Amino acid sequence: MISKTLMAASTRPIILAILSKGEDYGYNIIQKVKDVSGGSLEWTDGMIYPVLQRMEMDGLITSEWKLSGENRPRRYYTITDKGREELSAELAGWRNVWQALNRFTTPVPVEEG
Amino acid sequence: MFDLENAIRKWKKSLRKYDVFEDGLVADIEFHLRDAYEALRKAGLDGETAFRRAVAQVGTPESIASEYSKNLQVKLDRRSPLRPSRFMPALVWNYTKTALRVIRRQKAFSLINVSGLAIGFVVCMLIVLWVADEWSFDRFHTNARQIYRIYRDESATSSGSTSALTPPPMASILKADFPEIIRATRFGYWQMPLVTYGEKKFNESGYRHADPDFFAMFSFPLVKGDPETVFANPYSVVLTETTAAKYFGQEDPLGKTLTVNNTFDVIVTGIIADVPSNSSLEFDLLSPFEILLKEFIGEDNADNWGFNSFSTYVMLPKTAVKEDLAQKLKGCLEKYAPGDTDELALQPLTDIHLFSNLGHDLRNRGDVKYVWIFSALAVFVLLIAGVNFMNLTTARSANRAKEVGLRKVVGSVRPQLIRQFFGESVLMALFALIAALFLLELLLPFFNTFSGKQLVSPWQNNPFLLLGFFGMAVVTGLISGSYPALFLSSFQPIQILKGTIRSAGANPVFRKTLVIFQFSLSMFLIIGTIIISRQLSYMRNIDLGFSREHIIHLSIHGELHAKYNAIRDRFLQNPDVLHVTASMALPTNIQSSPGTPEWEGKNPDEIMEIKADFVDFDYIETFNIPLVEGRSFSREYATDPETAFIVNEEAVKRMGLQKPVVGKKFGFWGIDGQIIGVMKDAHFQSLHHKIEPLVFKIFRPWYKRLHVKIRSDNVSSTLRSLEKTWNQMNLGYPFEYRFLDEDFHNLYKSEARLGNIFQAFAALAVFIACLGLFGLASFIAEQRTKEIGIRKVLGSSTISIITLLNSEFLRWTAVANLIAWPIAYFVMQRWIQNFAYKADITIGIFVLSSLIGLAVALTTVSLQTLKAARANPADSLKHE
Repeated sequence: MISKTLMAASTRPIILAILSKGEDYGYNIIQKVKDVSGGSLEWTDGMIYPVLQRMEMDGLITSEWKLSGENRPRRYYTITDKGREELSAELAGWRNVWQALNRFTTPVPVEEG
Repeated sequence: MFDLENAIRKWKKSLRKYDVFEDGLVADIEFHLRDAYEALRKAGLDGETAFRRAVAQVGTPESIASEYSKNLQVKLDRRSPLRPSRFMPALVWNYTKTALRVIRRQKAFSLINVSGLAIGFVVCMLIVLWVADEWSFDRFHTNARQIYRIYRDESATSSGSTSALTPPPMASILKADFPEIIRATRFGYWQMPLVTYGEKKFNESGYRHADPDFFAMFSFPLVKGDPETVFANPYSVVLTETTAAKYFGQEDPLGKTLTVNNTFDVIVTGIIADVPSNSSLEFDLLSPFEILLKEFIGEDNADNWGFNSFSTYVMLPKTAVKEDLAQKLKGCLEKYAPGDTDELALQPLTDIHLFSNLGHDLRNRGDVKYVWIFSALAVFVLLIAGVNFMNLTTARSANRAKEVGLRKVVGSVRPQLIRQFFGESVLMALFALIAALFLLELLLPFFNTFSGKQLVSPWQNNPFLLLGFFGMAVVTGLISGSYPALFLSSFQPIQILKGTIRSAGANPVFRKTLVIFQFSLSMFLIIGTIIISRQLSYMRNIDLGFSREHIIHLSIHGELHAKYNAIRDRFLQNPDVLHVTASMALPTNIQSSPGTPEWEGKNPDEIMEIKADFVDFDYIETFNIPLVEGRSFSREYATDPETAFIVNEEAVKRMGLQKPVVGKKFGFWGIDGQIIGVMKDAHFQSLHHKIEPLVFKIFRPWYKRLHVKIRSDNVSSTLRSLEKTWNQMNLGYPFEYRFLDEDFHNLYKSEARLGNIFQAFAALAVFIACLGLFGLASFIAEQRTKEIGIRKVLGSSTISIITLLNSEFLRWTAVANLIAWPIAYFVMQRWIQNFAYKADITIGIFVLSSLIGLAVALTTVSLQTLKAARANPADSLKHE
């Protein structure tokens, strides 16, 4: 399981990452997250909408109502340039954190000589 | 059977309970729910279970709503792009231009506005400087808060009586007995000595004596000399710089010798900077107290606890509590002076100037009452000036209505306009401030001569005061601009531009109230001024009950004392000299004597405080004091110098003696004698005090002043010939005299001075108020130009139009009088209580004041109305 704090911190970069592959709507985003993480990332579905609204207010994404293939109206979200910048900044940050964690936790190889 | 749509409808209802769910948001979640439901159905769940699972998956409405409302709070902090920013630099230039244009377009109005305010400011500034100086008294001493003056509380013998004078042994005994007294000094003088250096001789009225602790207690920095050793030699003297220059010019004064009374020498051991004008302790020369004991009152008096003639100052450590010591001082006097029932008390040094009301106090004290009166006056003047400003600006506001309308139409909002008008009024106030600061520089020298102070402009030493003045201007600007700002900005653009608010001007009730308020203040000041000047002239002209004209007096100190008879005889040879006599005190300064006299039929416990003076033969005749019974001192009675007393009527009344009083036994200071005459009561003291019991006795050794009554004609030639006689006698002292009536005038000097200042300021206040009336009258006349034109065309005469225009002002002044009269009566009644003898406050004063006020107001207003009434109706109808 993933801690609440980590979850909160990762929500926005994950959404940005999904949208960077193309526009999408709320339900689908949640499904993708569940599929990819194999269930270890468990979001309460409704919570994504306030987050999306906030991200839209911050100018990271834009939204538009469209009719989907099943002829059902859906709000499609698209990443903006600002969103892409934010994503790459986040990714760099996460990578640094990941590297740091790696360094401290992997056993140091004994030099042969 | 499970009905999906119905279930969704119910679920949506639960969302609606939260305001944050707008339609779009609800749709978001609804479609999500549907997707989730369908996915679960596909997985094989039945309808009802699938729906329950989907709802749980979406989350509780409450938690989602709270997430949304967090976002909303963030949104609230953001300024809508439609709202103008608080400050638009682009408009500043426009505001300045508009403000300057308004000033330029309405020159007269702006001039009245700014000059009224400037005069108000300058009056305020002068008063603030004066008040600050009064408060600053004695606070320049580094130890000011630790220094106290010891005084005697004489309530045990006569209620409320106090005395600032203490005996010579007090300082050293207190210092020895109470460890919390770390320093103590005596301060005083016995007579005005003659000081000689070579050819230079001066009678030094500023010669004082103190103990070595003096320099450690008070901050009178030595310019030359060492504070530790200046008084090491008892025959030393410290001079102020001015005094040193008087005797020695450019020479180095240190080590020089001055001769005192031609009998002993003192060596100059130190020079101090001149005593600041805000010091209650004043002196020009300062010598050790031992000299006073040795040379003037005799060393045996060093331990005399009855010799209450000097001040005693003590210094406590920073941590000491005054009340603790005051408690310990109880009963302390009795220990050293058996039978003395007085108590010792402490008075903070910083209270001496404004709050002291002790008997035998220092001269030239201030009075906190006047500080309050003047502060109130400053506030009044500022109020009057501020009201003017507010009134004129509001009245003129109709002219700005179009501007306001246009600004609003092109996007100004109310706060912007409010700021604009506040900005303008503050700008005006700052103009007035600049004018006032120039005026202050100009007026300060006059004010100083007027008030007897040495105030300096705040530019020189008081940046805080300048800052305060700046603040005063800004606050005045803001307050007096508040009504115009709030009022102007509330105009509805549509009404203005359609012309519905034409003659608006302002809320007439508000303006009327302001004018009435202002006029009431003016009336109050006029009444106050008249009552004060009446009281002052009453005091100057009252029949004092004795003659004080054409009497000169000289000090007979040192060797002169022994030559008194010779001087007297020589003077009397001059045909223009009517009488020559002597006394211990000046008639203006007769003090209460310690102890109680004895008289026939006295109840042993009875106590009577009595003023006493030692006088020579001819005293009664010189001052022409009428006797109601008996006779004056006479050389024909050998016993007169020993046992004769003359008392006044008040003393007789208090003693309860029956006629004939003459011949009744009377004793004082251990002398048994009898009353030989009864004087009619006379006002020797200032009229603040009631006539008190008084006794005269002959006692040569203590005469200090010689009085010469001369003929009223040829005063100057008589004085010249007296001086010649004096110089021929080779007395070794300069011929220095004063006229007695001057001394009497000095009794009321502070009142006369303050009265003058008050009158001048009150006049200025009334002037400012008139400026306002003038401005208002011209505004009203202008507003009614057309009306006047029509009236004239229809046959009105000039007179009737003036009457019409003036009648409104008349009504205002009438109301103002109604308000001002009772307040003025109440306040002035209280002021006049300070005087035991007072000029009555009559209804006539009020009527007179009202007439003056009315005349001034009518003249001011008529200047304008006359112009309006005489205008050619053809012109006025073309107006606009």
